[in-house]
Amino acid sequence: MDRRNFLRYGMMAGAAMAAPRLNPDFFFSSAYAQDMRPLTFLSAENITGNWDPTAHTTLSQTNIEGFVMGFLTRAPMRPDNPDEVVYELATEINEIDAHTLEIKLRDDVTFHDGKPFTAADVKATFEYGAQPDRPKQVYPGPTETFEVTTPDNYTVIVDTSKGGYGASLFIFLASYLPMLSATDIADGPGGMLSQRLNGTGPFKFVAQRGNDTVMEAFPEYFRGAPKIPGVTFSFVGDATTRMLSLMNGQADVIERLEPEQVETLEGEENIKLSRLVSVENKYLWFRCSKPPFDNPLLRKAAAHAIDRSVIMEIMGSAGEASSNFISPIKFGYTDLDNYPEYDPEECQRLLAEAGYPGGEGLPELEYITSTGFYPKTKEYGEVITALLQEQGFPVTLNVMEVAAWNERLYDRPGGGPGHMVDCGWSTGSPEPDLVLRTHFHSTSKRICGIEDPEIDAALDEERNASSLEARKESLQTNLMPMLAEKVPALSLFTSVLIHGMRADVENLFIYPDGMSDASQTVMG
Amino acid sequence: MFIVRFLVRRLLQGALIVLLVSALIFTLLRVVPGDPVRLMAGGMAPEALIEQIATDMGLRDPIYVQFGRYLGGIVQGDLGQSFVRPANGAAVGGASFNDSTRGERAEVWDLIAETAPMTLQLALLAMVFALIIAVPIGVWGGLRPGRWPDRFALYLSSVFVSLPNFWLGIVLALLLSVKLKLLPAIGYNGFAYTILPALVLAVEIAPFIIRTLTVSVAGVMNQSFIDMASVRGLTRNQIVFRHAMKNSSVPLLNLLGVQFSMLLGGVLVIEFIFDYPGLGLLTINAVMQRDFPLIQGIAIVTAAAFVLINIVVDLCATAIDPRLEY
Repeated sequence: MDRRNFLRYGMMAGAAMAAPRLNPDFFFSSAYAQDMRPLTFLSAENITGNWDPTAHTTLSQTNIEGFVMGFLTRAPMRPDNPDEVVYELATEINEIDAHTLEIKLRDDVTFHDGKPFTAADVKATFEYGAQPDRPKQVYPGPTETFEVTTPDNYTVIVDTSKGGYGASLFIFLASYLPMLSATDIADGPGGMLSQRLNGTGPFKFVAQRGNDTVMEAFPEYFRGAPKIPGVTFSFVGDATTRMLSLMNGQADVIERLEPEQVETLEGEENIKLSRLVSVENKYLWFRCSKPPFDNPLLRKAAAHAIDRSVIMEIMGSAGEASSNFISPIKFGYTDLDNYPEYDPEECQRLLAEAGYPGGEGLPELEYITSTGFYPKTKEYGEVITALLQEQGFPVTLNVMEVAAWNERLYDRPGGGPGHMVDCGWSTGSPEPDLVLRTHFHSTSKRICGIEDPEIDAALDEERNASSLEARKESLQTNLMPMLAEKVPALSLFTSVLIHGMRADVENLFIYPDGMSDASQTVMG
Repeated sequence: MFIVRFLVRRLLQGALIVLLVSALIFTLLRVVPGDPVRLMAGGMAPEALIEQIATDMGLRDPIYVQFGRYLGGIVQGDLGQSFVRPANGAAVGGASFNDSTRGERAEVWDLIAETAPMTLQLALLAMVFALIIAVPIGVWGGLRPGRWPDRFALYLSSVFVSLPNFWLGIVLALLLSVKLKLLPAIGYNGFAYTILPALVLAVEIAPFIIRTLTVSVAGVMNQSFIDMASVRGLTRNQIVFRHAMKNSSVPLLNLLGVQFSMLLGGVLVIEFIFDYPGLGLLTINAVMQRDFPLIQGIAIVTAAAFVLINIVVDLCATAIDPRLEY
């Protein structure tokens, strides 16, 4: 066979093999939105691949859970009423005494797999979610510190006397932990729980198709079938791509708009914006478990070197000024009188007191931040670096892509990489301990690695308070001022959650943690 | 049997190239910063667990041992499993160290097989668009060397090559998709979604085709057999289309082979901007997640594609011009 015939026969064979694979629908598909279409929601973050809601702290997947799963209560967390709790699967929550909570449940709810929702599911969920090996462990304490009993199918009694802390802690946590099926939990973490979402929410999980999470309306939803046929939740990593999708009608809702994008979209008549003070604060975490920031004087000196008003100018509409370690929409928030403010003289005084006058003798310091995940981290990271250098801190900024930053984020034996790390923390409940205990108690110390018996005692004191009022007082007069004095991290500002959506999307309720309630949503 | 000798020789050379590329990528991935086990296990995983997982996976063995093991798998057609992607193919992150679904990670071969046809479609359409743009301009410029069509081809090529593809992608999406509503821009839900990214790629490729054609057509038109053709009584069109174009197509063919191979392996930016689910997007996510097996698999497959495309190009070239020997 010569080369020409080889080519000719080769092409003919290739065409013959390819012909049966041609799909006639391939060339014809609608490019634009149709009537009665599902809501298309574009997310900035990917998911984990494990559907167990206690197996991750990933916001995008939490948002998906918001569509599919049910909660005992929901917390709208608006600044004018941060402590508000709206009953969902629960009809009443009563504090019987300091250690006993009674929860009454709806009796007309079924899971998407057809099983009725009962008290046994609440008991199993609380006990499973509090296990110490769950990455999204629901404090206030591990399973053995409380006891759940179910006098009947629709009553749950939570007794925390074994743990010694107030049962009222479960009131806010009820807005954080999705209710799982006891049958799924009994199947174990490797069973159905991780394979799919099975909730009581308005939308039913159908499938994961590549980066698209496909959900359809659940007709038996206890508040009535949703008005839209479903939700498609997709990961699209690029912010410009998400914006273009909204502008050309391919997407209905997009999240995490950058300030510049807000300016662009404000002029579009077919698009509207939602701006919410979020549950997330952004922090500069000090590595407290290794020199030199194991010295609280140096941490405080660094905090006084940072002019947060400049950071607010950079953040524009994407940030909200706050002076505490939790967001203003969390229980117990107050603007702290002793929160470290920009004060170069005080910074120099503290540096000298710590034995490093003018920064002399300090080792080279590394400040780790990310780019492409949170807005403006590189820009304000450069400002913080310059401000610290101005006061004599020999700081180098290390801007990393998300995976590399994430790999270096958490505390490790010996202190973890770098000396300062930029990161936010967001939890979907008014409960402040989900931030404070998670980061500042020596049993958890996620990023800063602090081990301080005084802070531990203050955290335990507020947790063990006998009522919500007593907790609030303990938080505001003891724990929070103490944290402002010891500065294991500096909260820079509270993030603002900005969503863009098409103007014809109505009645989409967005929570400050990014979850959405689309049960009453209509489009077009 | 020229064809058998040719294929055996070139395939052996190609196998050597793929082996070298694999070894290079394999080594580089293991010396760059970023521990994939920590990404797999989650940031909160204890150090002891990180070491245990790494040891169990053989990631603490010497690189040559790991590479030998990997080659053993390839010989059996096994490119391994993704470190982080589940079988449903979603881009994932933040998985926990006790993630019980880890056993159901996607096969690298399956991920590549699902996405490669998308990139192939994009690359083919981009080549078609590029040829539609470039051939008339390049031939026109080559037939009038030194005159304004030649200068026009040069200036247009200069403009095209200066346009950053991410900028052009956004501008075209704004114009054709947002303003005029002519084409969809983001993701993939049918053939129409390929047109816009293919147009951007075509603008990127067209300058090289225009310049190659302009120069080669002008060169061929200066040769003596072209003068002889007119003496033989052939018309200008016959001379251009039957002789000049055919003889100019060999350098063009080589260029197209290289460009097509590059498109298959490197449409990263465009696929990312348009969220087009091809090999480029898969590669970006794999790199971001330190998904070593997936990066290696993509590198090997694209290197193999490069080799095969070049073999086909050389075969086509010798079919056009039998004087060529490869």
